[in-house]
Amino acid sequence: MRNWVFPYFKKFWRRLLLSAILGFLALFCAAGLLFTSGYLISKAALRPENILLIYVPIVGVRAFGIFRAFFRYTSDLASHDTVLRILSGMRTRLYSILEPAALFIRSKFRTGDLLGILSDDIEHLQDLYLSTALPAASAVLIYGMWISLLGWMDGLFALIMGLYLSILLVVFPLLSLVFTNKFRRQFSVQRHHLYEKLTDAVLGAGDWMLSGRQKDFLDQFMVEEKSISRIENRLHRIRRWREFVSELLIGGSVIALLLWSQHMAASGHMSRTLIAAFVLVTFTIAESLIAVSEAVERLPQYHESFSRLRRTETMPEKETDVPAEKGRVPLPEAPVTIDVANLCFKYGETERWAIDHLSLDVRQGERIALIGRSGAGKTTLTHLIYGALKPTRGTVTLNGVPAWQIGRHVSSIISVLNQSPHLFDTSVRNNIALGNEQASREEIVQAAKWVGLHERILQLPHGYDTQMHEAGAIFSGGQQQRLALARIMLRNTPVVILDEPTVGLDPITEKNLLQTFFTVLRGKTLIWITHHLAGAGQMDRIIFLEDGAICMSGSHRQLLKENRRYRELYRLDVPDHLAKRIQGHE
Amino acid sequence: MSMDREIFTYHGAKLLFFIVSVLTGLEGIFIIVQAVMLAGVISGLFSGQSVFSLENQTVLFFLAVVLRYFCKLAIKSLTFRFADRTGSEMRNHFLATVFTRGLPMIKEEGTATLVSLAIEGVPKARKYLELYLPKMAANGILPIMILCFVATKDMLSAVILLVTIPVLILFMILLGLAAQKKMDERWASYRVLSNHFLDSLRGLPTLRYLGLSRAHETSIRRVSDKYRQMTMRTLSLAFLSSFALDFFTMLSIAFVAVALGLRLINGQILLDPALVVLILAPEYFLPVRELGQDYHATLDGKEAAHKLTRYAGDAGTRFTAGIEPPDDGNDSWSAASSLSFQTVSATYARSDGEKVLDSLSFTLNGFEKIGIIGASGAGKSTLINLISGFISPLSGQIRIDGKPATLTASAWQKQITYIPQHPYLFSGSIGDNVAFYAPEATAPEIRRAVQAAGLGTFVSGLPMGLDERIGSGGRALSGGQEQRVALARAFLCRRPILLLDEPTAHLDIETEYALKESMIPLFDGKLVILATHRLHWMDQMDRILVIEHGRLQESGTQEELLKRQGAYTKLVRTQLEGLQ
Repeated sequence: MRNWVFPYFKKFWRRLLLSAILGFLALFCAAGLLFTSGYLISKAALRPENILLIYVPIVGVRAFGIFRAFFRYTSDLASHDTVLRILSGMRTRLYSILEPAALFIRSKFRTGDLLGILSDDIEHLQDLYLSTALPAASAVLIYGMWISLLGWMDGLFALIMGLYLSILLVVFPLLSLVFTNKFRRQFSVQRHHLYEKLTDAVLGAGDWMLSGRQKDFLDQFMVEEKSISRIENRLHRIRRWREFVSELLIGGSVIALLLWSQHMAASGHMSRTLIAAFVLVTFTIAESLIAVSEAVERLPQYHESFSRLRRTETMPEKETDVPAEKGRVPLPEAPVTIDVANLCFKYGETERWAIDHLSLDVRQGERIALIGRSGAGKTTLTHLIYGALKPTRGTVTLNGVPAWQIGRHVSSIISVLNQSPHLFDTSVRNNIALGNEQASREEIVQAAKWVGLHERILQLPHGYDTQMHEAGAIFSGGQQQRLALARIMLRNTPVVILDEPTVGLDPITEKNLLQTFFTVLRGKTLIWITHHLAGAGQMDRIIFLEDGAICMSGSHRQLLKENRRYRELYRLDVPDHLAKRIQGHE
Repeated sequence: MSMDREIFTYHGAKLLFFIVSVLTGLEGIFIIVQAVMLAGVISGLFSGQSVFSLENQTVLFFLAVVLRYFCKLAIKSLTFRFADRTGSEMRNHFLATVFTRGLPMIKEEGTATLVSLAIEGVPKARKYLELYLPKMAANGILPIMILCFVATKDMLSAVILLVTIPVLILFMILLGLAAQKKMDERWASYRVLSNHFLDSLRGLPTLRYLGLSRAHETSIRRVSDKYRQMTMRTLSLAFLSSFALDFFTMLSIAFVAVALGLRLINGQILLDPALVVLILAPEYFLPVRELGQDYHATLDGKEAAHKLTRYAGDAGTRFTAGIEPPDDGNDSWSAASSLSFQTVSATYARSDGEKVLDSLSFTLNGFEKIGIIGASGAGKSTLINLISGFISPLSGQIRIDGKPATLTASAWQKQITYIPQHPYLFSGSIGDNVAFYAPEATAPEIRRAVQAAGLGTFVSGLPMGLDERIGSGGRALSGGQEQRVALARAFLCRRPILLLDEPTAHLDIETEYALKESMIPLFDGKLVILATHRLHWMDQMDRILVIEHGRLQESGTQEELLKRQGAYTKLVRTQLEGLQ
């Protein structure tokens, strides 16, 4: 709440107030219409000689009738405009919170689509303003106006009526909030559980089918669903009865008003012509108070969204932040020598060493394959070289400058192509141009040609101007990687890190893609994280990582000759006898 | 629109509609009584009587209020119960379909879509079922009752009220269409703008690597503002329909009031009937106003209800042949068994019916080890799905031991262990996961299976051992460990047929190597069918089926195929050439 609501209330209070007042005026006009109508016909029933006597109420009736629609329209527009402004603010805020952790988002949020959920959460919070805060504010204003009007005529009755109507405005909303809160919490917990359970089961549907145990699952699921259904029933029943009792209370308030107005008229404090006006208007005003219960009842719904958003703020893994002043270091220029010396790194005090006394020299133009099991430290090592993490001990330097001190300027020295480069929802051309925003049309086409995508792009419905959401489905996995490679070609950095760019591709696509990589990136330093040995022959050095340290390294030829383990592994990718057979026939 | 009639096909809907209509009729009577009594009291007070002399009318007024809202309460309770029951039925039906015949459906629609349809779609559908009948009844009955009654009191007012409705509807339609047209025109840019934020979040790592992530913050603000301006322009049109609704109802009431006032002066009408009409005028418009209130919720719900019934209804015909044969084929697979396909064709969950497998004929015997190889998209996975009975063939004959057979039968499926590329780990303990196919297994049996799958050291290193929780919300396992859990499942349940779909391609080479070592002993004494494009597996296979574009190109031992210099050799060549 503190960070996600109050700042926006503070910043946009004028607009919010305007929206609430316009909403109030809409209610006011609806009430005014009935008030003046009642007055009009009562006055007319007295059959005044001069029609001009009822001219004012006639104008009033028409004006209220027209303005009611007008105010409601403007209030809807004003509130939506304000809420969209707030939305924009919250989006920027969420982005700026997530941005420093950009490189760790994938590992952090791997399960499910948390980013999608967060973005929905923010959308969801619109309702806090539109369905809860503003209607409640308008209702409070109309209540205030009504009670002051009564108070102006009769203080004691206003007090009684004020207390009576506060049952609708305050007591019922609070009661239903308190009563339903527990159920709603239960409901959302159970529903979440049901969600997980079903997702789990659907993902493993094949196993349920083969095991012949589907019925077990379905029976169990029904039981849980029944219990949720019971909670919903209870919530619904509370709401139904609350509405029923509210209507009776309104009926009561009408009778109270009848008694009062008779008394006022009899004692001459009020004209008889106002009796109908006061009685009729009570309905409209009381009805608008009923809406408050429903508005307030929604409050627990926002709870979950808030707590998720709050959690993003305490994300542990962030990039090493380089203070702007201290970041003034000479930027390394090509040729770049990467020097890793005695490097140690762990993510937290109590964690194990992710990188353990690792030393490595990479000269400009050298090609290195980095192989290891998951968790061996490959990605951590590249984050350290990229300067996103600060070494716990030891150093990583680019031409002698510590990598972490270079900070964000590193993106002009090192390019990274990872497993799933994002293709943005814009044109194909813009997607390539992200590599270098100054690139000319010719340069973009040239880059596409290099990566072997030019022909394919020309076949798209609008060529280079095809929108990605159309083209995304047309481009295969390998082609998407090629597109990302074209970006990197435009960046033209001396060092390129390939972080398993071919995972999930079939071997033929993989082979062709690798050949493109190796051809177009000639002359650049290449650090290639891979899980297969296909293509290892084209590398200068192959490094096996295990538990954050180098356990095997050397050139392909050398390892093949001297290392039995390497030979066996290589054979999985390139079976000897098959390779010989196809060579023999060439 | 078909859904609107569809609602009456649900169990009990017709009776419910009848009861709701009767209750709504009663409600209409009470609304009129309430108005008459109130008008009586007010005009009585106006002429100087006291409330106490009007006691009867006052009491009747309150009684009418109580009864009116009691009718409403009854309608709500009844429709809620109906919606609750029907919603549950829909969900049960839908889920039963998903879990018996729905594997292609899951692939096609995605897990998330189906889960959210089951969990969020059902409440939406329920909302629709709950709202639709009473609204239909209210709109069909109340305005007519009120109008008729008003006509007996004052014809002119009745005419004003009557004329308003068509005008109102006309304007709402015109404005709605105009707004829709504007929306459609801007749809493309609207979509980009509204997706921009999520797109940016998803692309954050990429932006960071391109050195653009910080500058992008201003772009988010800019696009959000543009989105706001665009949305506001659209909304200013879209809100015009509710403006029209408000404007015409309010104006109509104002007209009625002024017309009454003018005639009261001339003595053409008395105060009492005039008040009745004035009180009833807003009630006349109430159903129509409430109709607009939950319009979108109703529309969403209708859509959801329709989807749920459609999936449950046609999954049987669309995805499978849908006939469950009697469980007669209880003979389990043995060394002497044979499975033969004769010109079998299949499609994989595509509505266009394009054949993924085209006239396949082959025979598998006893405990052979069969490799299925082919380029991606050739139909390997479809063949595996066909053999495991997840889908049914379009045409052709399948025979087991010479007798016609249906592989979707559970008697067949109970002989199969299936190891996919990403075996699914259920949220639960390792022990439960391993024993998934054999829930009756004892702890020592499970431990042996875990040992055999090469998970022994890993499990004994865990704080809770076999009771350690894995799957979503539990300890994360690496790809290799996940495969080993699947292996342990297979070791434990000892079913005679083993299907593997690309079990190792996604793993790093060291893990693949180690895993293969543990996997080979499992092949003993089983019919093994392994689909992959990793060539090294072919050394372990007795026979290889080469599939290209859905057709069986070649089959035979590796040696035979290499000698033949056909499709297999070509496949090997494209994969290996230029790599060494």
